Amino acid sequence: MNILTIALRNARKKWVRTLLLLLVFTLGVVSIVALGFVSRVVGEGLEKKLVSYGANILVSPKSEKLTVSYGGFALGDMLFDVSYLDEASTVAKIDGIGLRQNISVIAPKLVVMDRVKDTAVAVVGVRFEQEKLLKGYWLVEQGEVPTRPEGLLVGSAAAAKLGLKLGDAVPLGKHSLVVAGILAPTGNEDDNVLLAHLATVQQATGRHGQANFVEVAALCSGCPIDDIVAQLATGLPGVEIKTLRNIVEQRMYSVHFVKRLILSVSLVILLTGCSMVGISMLSAVNERKKEIGILRSLGFSRQAVFSIFCAEAASIGLLAGVVGYVAGYAVSFRILAVLELAEGAVIAFEPLHLLATALVLALLTSLASLFPAWKAAAIEPSEALVTL
Amino acid sequence: MSTTPLTSPSPILEAVGLTKSFSQDGEPTQALKGVSLSVAPGEFVSLVGRSGSGKSTMLSVLSTLLRPDAGTLAYKGQDLTTATEAEVNALRHGDFAVIFQFHYLLPYLTALENTLLPFMRGLRPVSAGQRQRALECLERVGLADKAHRLPGQLSGGEQQRVAIARALVKEARVLFADEPTGSLDSATGATVMELLGQLPQEGMSVVMVTHNEDYARLAGRMVRMEDGLVV
Repeated sequence: MNILTIALRNARKKWVRTLLLLLVFTLGVVSIVALGFVSRVVGEGLEKKLVSYGANILVSPKSEKLTVSYGGFALGDMLFDVSYLDEASTVAKIDGIGLRQNISVIAPKLVVMDRVKDTAVAVVGVRFEQEKLLKGYWLVEQGEVPTRPEGLLVGSAAAAKLGLKLGDAVPLGKHSLVVAGILAPTGNEDDNVLLAHLATVQQATGRHGQANFVEVAALCSGCPIDDIVAQLATGLPGVEIKTLRNIVEQRMYSVHFVKRLILSVSLVILLTGCSMVGISMLSAVNERKKEIGILRSLGFSRQAVFSIFCAEAASIGLLAGVVGYVAGYAVSFRILAVLELAEGAVIAFEPLHLLATALVLALLTSLASLFPAWKAAAIEPSEALVTL
Repeated sequence: MSTTPLTSPSPILEAVGLTKSFSQDGEPTQALKGVSLSVAPGEFVSLVGRSGSGKSTMLSVLSTLLRPDAGTLAYKGQDLTTATEAEVNALRHGDFAVIFQFHYLLPYLTALENTLLPFMRGLRPVSAGQRQRALECLERVGLADKAHRLPGQLSGGEQQRVAIARALVKEARVLFADEPTGSLDSATGATVMELLGQLPQEGMSVVMVTHNEDYARLAGRMVRMEDGLVV
């Protein structure tokens, strides 16, 4: 038994009022927590989808490049002084930036020209394990993604044009590659090219350890893409780094929109709850004048009376925070199921967030009760007892 | 302004020339017009008088619940009219105890918890010793078997006895009682008065306001007030 007993016993005695306040705050916390979880899942899902559209940062050697078009007809790029990247050091430097945790894929590429059945075709050397992450939309129509060094993955249009089938041999330099898989149409450049292991292409063309460019996919939920680019530029001087702005900005916008929406809803809910606590406590001060008088006549200081009211409000906030967080966690699963987003969704229950939520709620309710508590503390014992 | 000194040997509480005014319906009313009173250790003083005579105001001023407009109030030689709020709080918490006509217990605390209330001012939990003492005080007022009942489950007389137990538990030196039997039937009132009558024998001073002349005569000294003055 101590001063908190007074606050808690009164809250229990006025259980209807306490329950009502608890309900309002719990509902508020449930909404905020559930929205938070759902938005995180939606955001991550969005990120995955957007990442599956491809890379959003391109790392390439600086070159004097001039794109020539006339009347809407592209004549191609005029290139002078073509240079290559050192694959190993470039990948290592990208891998070593401070914001590495925001990078999901690093995919170096070497593009060479080959002639198959008298038709010129581009052969792209890739790291298939990275490429699969980068191009989640790939569907291997026949065969499989190559695992052996000589394996070749053929784009749908190239396979049709060149009449390639599984097991066909394709010469590249002194090497002979074997068709291991054929892609379903993707609607992009992959339809027209042959994809082989990067090391094989490097070896066949004598460009050991070299790459034309590196595609990087950055996850942008909360990560500043400009900072990633700045860190890449610092680590890779003399290298051109381009961001594919549209995708990046779209990602940032969608994530920020959801966050802003949640913040607005949360603020409205919390303000409503705080107003209710304030009004309720204010009326309680008038109701409890006699009690305040008794306490003051027993030598309770103004601070002690102040803290009783704050503690009562804080206990409501604390309980609402705990109950609301747990309920919000449960409700988020139901919302995701209704939105048909539950499949594959991973929501981690984080005890630290639970603690933080409870503490923040306790702080908010305490702040909401500051004025009533101050009014209670200002009551003189004689004033309180004379009213009787 | 008249002053009526009433002295007793080596007073524990001494008021000299106390005045107190209120504003009632915009009109200033002087409730105390320069009252002096001394209370000796272990003395039982009753204040009697008609309604509006100023006796309850006097009790509130003596118990530090009201500050006087003028005059001095000394407890063990310390001037309480110039005491800081912390000093006054310490006095209310320790040496002074007040009981009222309507018992004034916290309705959501049990009889035992109400008795222990003076020890619940901070975060430090009530000790086992304090709890034991509270139970002894409740036993003394005949309520040991009702220690865990809420005030709503006790009669008026029992509630008043809990208030007395609360004064006993902190070993107050002066008990101020404002119409302690005012809301009780005569049998219950007599029980409470009997209890109050025992306290001066243990060294506790009692200052009691009452309308009941019979009860007032049980005190060692009866002080009559009229129109803000001791007569």
